[in-house]
Amino acid sequence: MSAAPTSRQRILAGIRSATAHLHPAGSAQETPVLPRDYVRRGSLSRDACLERMIERLREYDAEVVECSPGEIPAAIAAQLAQSGRKRFVAPEGLPAAWLADGVEWKIDHGLSTEEIEEAEGVVTAAFCGVAESGTITLHHSAAEGRRVLSLLPDWHLCVLRASQVVEALPEYFDRCAAPPALVTFISGPSATADIEMTRIKGVHGPRFLHVILVRDAS
Amino acid sequence: MSHAELDPVYAPPFPEGALPVLRNPQLRKNVAHAIDVIQAKRGRLVAEKTDWQELRTAGSAIRAHALENLDYYLEQFEERCTAAGGHVHWAVDAAEARQIILNLLREEKASEVIKIKTMTSAEIQLNPFLETAGVKVFETDLAEIILQLGQEEPSHIVVPALHINRSQVREIFARSMGLKNLSDDPHALTAAARTYLRQKFLTIPTAISGANFLIAETGGVAVVESEGNGRMCLTLPRTMITVAGIEKVLPRYQDLEVMLQVLARSATGERMNPYTSLWTGVVPGDGPQRFYVVLLDNGRSRMLRRPVERQTLKCIRCAACMNACPVYRQTGGHAYGSVYPGPIGAILTPQLMELKHAQTLPYASSLCGACYEVCPVKINIPEVLLELRAQVTDKERKQTLRFFDPLYLGLRMANLLFARAWRFHLAQRFGRIGLGLFTRKDGWIHSLPFLGAKWTQTRDLRGLPQQTFHEWWAARERGAK
Repeated sequence: MSAAPTSRQRILAGIRSATAHLHPAGSAQETPVLPRDYVRRGSLSRDACLERMIERLREYDAEVVECSPGEIPAAIAAQLAQSGRKRFVAPEGLPAAWLADGVEWKIDHGLSTEEIEEAEGVVTAAFCGVAESGTITLHHSAAEGRRVLSLLPDWHLCVLRASQVVEALPEYFDRCAAPPALVTFISGPSATADIEMTRIKGVHGPRFLHVILVRDAS
Repeated sequence: MSHAELDPVYAPPFPEGALPVLRNPQLRKNVAHAIDVIQAKRGRLVAEKTDWQELRTAGSAIRAHALENLDYYLEQFEERCTAAGGHVHWAVDAAEARQIILNLLREEKASEVIKIKTMTSAEIQLNPFLETAGVKVFETDLAEIILQLGQEEPSHIVVPALHINRSQVREIFARSMGLKNLSDDPHALTAAARTYLRQKFLTIPTAISGANFLIAETGGVAVVESEGNGRMCLTLPRTMITVAGIEKVLPRYQDLEVMLQVLARSATGERMNPYTSLWTGVVPGDGPQRFYVVLLDNGRSRMLRRPVERQTLKCIRCAACMNACPVYRQTGGHAYGSVYPGPIGAILTPQLMELKHAQTLPYASSLCGACYEVCPVKINIPEVLLELRAQVTDKERKQTLRFFDPLYLGLRMANLLFARAWRFHLAQRFGRIGLGLFTRKDGWIHSLPFLGAKWTQTRDLRGLPQQTFHEWWAARERGAK
């Protein structure tokens, strides 16, 4: 488009003339020292932090169960059986041992939207958990799956390791070696309060969020 | 339901725009209920943050720094977004932004488009423009669907349909979705919206979004939402077009550790909103494979010049200021005649309009300061309101018509009287005689004729005392001798 560069130049020139007096030296400062005196690290004990995570997830009506690292397959199987659902999708990188018997699995080697839409549930791993707000972050790695995978099925089972749980949000950012290209922060099942501020669970995202908290060494 | 058109160019002055709401008890009840619920939740969750003031200070500093170096961060955003496979367009004004978006839609041969709630698109009046051009627009946020199907205007920037209650929503949905037996239970209404939209998400290949934040460091875009309609639009379509004001830039990904902590608490009274999504350009195999960003100026770069006005652009659109505002609570959003209502609207809209329109908005405030107190990025809204009032007055002072303006004449007269002590004393005597005719036995004036009526229509005026302080003092001296 030929008009675009002109508008770009006009806008940038406008900004520069408006802010020139702020940079007498002529160049912008990329990393100034800004006040960051807020809480950067949590103060709870490890156990209390995990308890907080569970408590906050439950406040969002998420189901939480705990297990040891060796019990993950059994815990997943139990959750799937309890759900009464039969057709599940799984990310490509989900450990094979997690694919419980007795239900139908479709592995996402590039499933179509229709195939994912037909599934009744999905099982994924996670990148991090933030206890203070009961937030789970997905960076959509091979075991966490493409974004659509944890979106269309109405039932999402997320396997979160205790070692992935931090207390305060800034601690999650400390764990990001580099900023992720894709990230989804999930805090409870999809919800709305648009009608008379009444919180309604389950609009477009999964209506049911289940979390298996794995008590690994942390 | 009648309300002000939300185009500041045609909207009536604020006091006039407020009248329909003030005369509609149902509307006032709906607004007050919603505000009370959000305020109570926000208060609880802000109180539990021991570092709330430190977060505000950091949030303010990050936003101010981004604005002071906006050219640098916008170019960095453009470079990194482009490197990640996105396309960045720049729009000087609303008309150009609309045209860029329409051209992109034509390239995509799109006859339908799904939308995530974006106030910026409402600012540029995108929907009516696209509809006229033959593109069918489907809003996907529940509140936006209510407004679109009910042909209503947004009255709040976070919960845009807060002025509409459940039975009104039922009526709108029953009529437009053909569901005669729909109940007014919010669960049923929400389920109806879910069903209505599911096929649209799965079949319409083009989407439009706004942006809560643009991340300069990565070229990424963040969308903060609750329902999952945003995730649907960000994941399923082939093409995504994001329209964002140039002020939405944050320097670094890590800056979100402040913004996400203050935004949800301030906006909806939650520790965190259900879903926040970030994506960077095009990610092969995941989400839209064509991605465009339209960076909109529309008067913003002009606002950077002076520090007082510049802080307006720090806004992260949480709406805490309108929830806290005693004026907004009474009038609701439509009175402001702009898609940005409440205290932030009262300072943002007149500046976007270069004070050619919306000149009454800086006066739509009691200057109580509640908006400043709750603002998560510390925008001193009362300070900006006063500055804009001064500018409005300065503009009016330059007009020849001022010689016929009663306020101007009154102030000239006051100037004349106050300049000499004898004139002032004389005026006091005449004033006492004149006003005495209207002063009741209780010492109050309840009704005045002509211009004075403007005062007594809404409040009483204390009658002048029988003796001024000067007179009393002089009499005392005489008595002593």
